[in-house]
Amino acid sequence: MKRVDFFVSEREIERLCKAIRQAGAPGYSVMRHVTGWGVAGEISEAMDFSGLGANAHVVVFCDADAIAALQGVVRPLLERFGGVGFVSEAEKF
Amino acid sequence: MQSTLVLQNLLSAPVLFFFLGILAVVLGSDLEIPSPLPKLFSLYLLLAIGFKGGVELSHSGLGSMVLLTIAAAILMSLLVPISSFYILRPRLGADNAAAVAAAYGSISAVTFITAQSFLNVVKVPYDGFMVAALALMESPAIVVGVVMAKLAASRLEPSPGGPSGGKEPIPWPEVLREAFLNGSVFLLIGSLVIGGLVAYFSPSGVERMEPFTEKLFYGVLCFFLLDMGLVAAQRLRDLRQTGPFLVAFAIAAPIVHAFIGLLIARLLGLPQGDALLFMVLSASASYIAVPAAMRMTVPHANPSLYITTALGLTFPFNVVVGIPLYMALVQRFIPVA
Repeated sequence: MKRVDFFVSEREIERLCKAIRQAGAPGYSVMRHVTGWGVAGEISEAMDFSGLGANAHVVVFCDADAIAALQGVVRPLLERFGGVGFVSEAEKF
Repeated sequence: MQSTLVLQNLLSAPVLFFFLGILAVVLGSDLEIPSPLPKLFSLYLLLAIGFKGGVELSHSGLGSMVLLTIAAAILMSLLVPISSFYILRPRLGADNAAAVAAAYGSISAVTFITAQSFLNVVKVPYDGFMVAALALMESPAIVVGVVMAKLAASRLEPSPGGPSGGKEPIPWPEVLREAFLNGSVFLLIGSLVIGGLVAYFSPSGVERMEPFTEKLFYGVLCFFLLDMGLVAAQRLRDLRQTGPFLVAFAIAAPIVHAFIGLLIARLLGLPQGDALLFMVLSASASYIAVPAAMRMTVPHANPSLYITTALGLTFPFNVVVGIPLYMALVQRFIPVA
């Protein structure tokens, strides 16, 4: 079992979720209003009024063989709009 | 510039609340407005101004003056981003130049509303149809910005191995969706149409809306400008990224664009109040619709550049200095009706 964490702008969340479903992942969880600090500087909710909100954190748990499909559809999105993804091992509780 | 105009503007409640927001950041206060509220205030202001504009447009009708003014406004929203793009591109590159140019071709509804409240203070009348010009100036600049970025990219940075022979096609559905279905543009135009329909077919509905669209309006504007003061002051930290050229552009561009707006207003024979609003529309830069649209359509442009210049520099300049400056020019060059 693998765990994939994505951090993207809230503005791109719909595209990302669509791509994850397209890759055949069994499910995902979305946490909005994620603030912090990264390569693009401070991530805050200050510009929320304009539709440029904070970041979202998307977590996917899937089998190891689904990772390639996920990379195939999500990587172009991350390259185009920015954002990061991390894969780690997970164990069912 | 007449000192009374400056004082009347500086001592108006919205501008004072804007300063209070800036002061809070400068002094390190923990004043913070919960994030859903500014979004709500922004939507409220767009709904209220759109509705009121629709009502007044219904009363004034679509005469030749109205249509000419709207056409001139759309022309400005096409010319400003094109000229700005060519000024900015040598220094910023195609993507950043296109995004900043789109911001300056588009408008700031809050600057427009602040100018309206200034006209109320100085008791200079204005026409409601100017809201239609406001609504229709937002989208063309977004389209021009994206087209300029894509055309420049296809000419200057060919990628021979690319799927379309090195030329990346303009994603028209995405561009048009962002330009016309962007939440703020959609709400403003929709409220304008609803205001017009209600005023024409059900005039009592206008009266029923008044407690919401009239009585609350000034207070919400003050609250929103308090938040804008907070956000604008926080954005000033990013000025190090923009550099002196862009800082100079953010101050010079509104003055030049306002002056062109003044010439057009005089050519059209607009009365003083409408002339000021036309100048403000020409001079202001978008920090609501355009950043969101540019993020989706020109994602490689640096948001720090187009948000910081539009929100951190041009918006405060217009609200504090620009409006009384433009009014002084109006009083000098536009005859009293």
